[in-house]
Amino acid sequence: MSSVQEEKQGLLGIVDAIGRFPREAFSTWWDIIGMISIALTASKDIFKPSQRPIFWELFKDQLYETGVRAVYINGMIGMFIGALMMARLFAYFPKQVLSTQYAYLFVVVVVRELGPLISGIILIARSATAVTSKIGNLRVRREFQVLHGMGINPVFLYLVPVFFAFPISLCLMLIYFDFICILSAFAVIWYSDPDVSFLPFLSSILEQISLNEIGINAVKAILGGMLIGVISIHFGAKATDSFEDISEAISNSTTTQLMAFFLLNVVLSLLAYTQ
Amino acid sequence: MTLSISNLTIEYPNASVFVGIDLEVAPNELVAVRSEVLDGGTSLLKGIAGFLNGVQGRVLLQGINLLDNPPTEVIYRIGYVYEALGLVSLFNVRENIALPLQFHSKLTHEEIDARVVAVGERFGLNESIYRMKPHELNDVQTRLVNLARALVVRPLLLLVDELEGGMSDAYLRDTIDAIREHQQQYPMPVIMTTMSDEIFNRADRVYRIEDRNLVQGAA
Repeated sequence: MSSVQEEKQGLLGIVDAIGRFPREAFSTWWDIIGMISIALTASKDIFKPSQRPIFWELFKDQLYETGVRAVYINGMIGMFIGALMMARLFAYFPKQVLSTQYAYLFVVVVVRELGPLISGIILIARSATAVTSKIGNLRVRREFQVLHGMGINPVFLYLVPVFFAFPISLCLMLIYFDFICILSAFAVIWYSDPDVSFLPFLSSILEQISLNEIGINAVKAILGGMLIGVISIHFGAKATDSFEDISEAISNSTTTQLMAFFLLNVVLSLLAYTQ
Repeated sequence: MTLSISNLTIEYPNASVFVGIDLEVAPNELVAVRSEVLDGGTSLLKGIAGFLNGVQGRVLLQGINLLDNPPTEVIYRIGYVYEALGLVSLFNVRENIALPLQFHSKLTHEEIDARVVAVGERFGLNESIYRMKPHELNDVQTRLVNLARALVVRPLLLLVDELEGGMSDAYLRDTIDAIREHQQQYPMPVIMTTMSDEIFNRADRVYRIEDRNLVQGAA
């Protein structure tokens, strides 16, 4: 091979390497959009009387695993963050400023931003990785082929319950997180000033939470939950022949979920809260 | 409900496995295909069931070509017994056996349960096995649960892939008897790939795989 040809090959290799990332990213997102559409199409089978009980059982199991059993970890992290935040506010702000502003600060920092972000991260770490691993194992064990052989759409059994359970779970996790944060923040205040009572503290925070905050958090939870669920299944389903594919799928899935979820949160916060 | 296979050709991207198979199996017949290791026995059954890509020809059952996107009412009544695995790990044994009926039929929960118990009893499945998850079963139990799930739908066609592994001759005889009884009650063509003389002895016809086709006779 002449040196000119070698140089051409080298250049093509570099162009190919540069182009590969956007090409793969585009293809992944195209697949994910396709899966959302497949999940919505398969969702109409929920209304078939013979299939509804199967969906309902799987949905309940998924919701319990993802949304209910997350109480402990969400509560613990919410407790640490609520206490830490209030302790830092006490350290940095004069008491007069704090007594009028703590509710606003709490809502801006915890309810608007930290609650959705940390709940999403917990959902990704605790449940989405488990779903990716489960789907990867099912693929390697050829269980999708078994289901096809019985005329059963695997999307209905595996994707649809996750597609609905993840957003609801994320809503629940947000509620636990905010509630425990409020409790632990109060505990810190009460420790510093035992005359403070809980109800005025709570009502001053609730007064700061507008319908806008509730709406944006609901949108973050619903879109975020759906995205996390679909991405976890997309990467799990890419595993084919070996168990090594599953570890790679979990790694790629987690990276994509984190990027997608953070991006979604930033965009929605900017759109909703920029004056 | 005769199964009529004509000019069946199964090809993978890098290999041609079967070329031009013609076979007819009556609803009361059991056909055994002698299948050695890696000679394509599993591909034959999966090809007939319509599970594979790259299959040409015709597999007619009730006038419907199984290779041409048959309706769901037909797909779920093709009983396929896998040599290994084949169960859905999401569900326990009882739910696995009931799954195709629960998903596709209009039977009540009680009617489905009665069918599951009736078929399961014949293969020695009991309450403790019904509660097990697929990973808790041994190979023989897994195949028996596969068989129970295939029979519970009263299949139009039964395809069984190497049932005998790990079974004693007596146990295998009893299992074949159960399939035969079921066939008498609910006629269906049966094709089994096997290396077992017990099955050859009980089959109506025996074939072997030779030159990418089926040749009558086990030897």
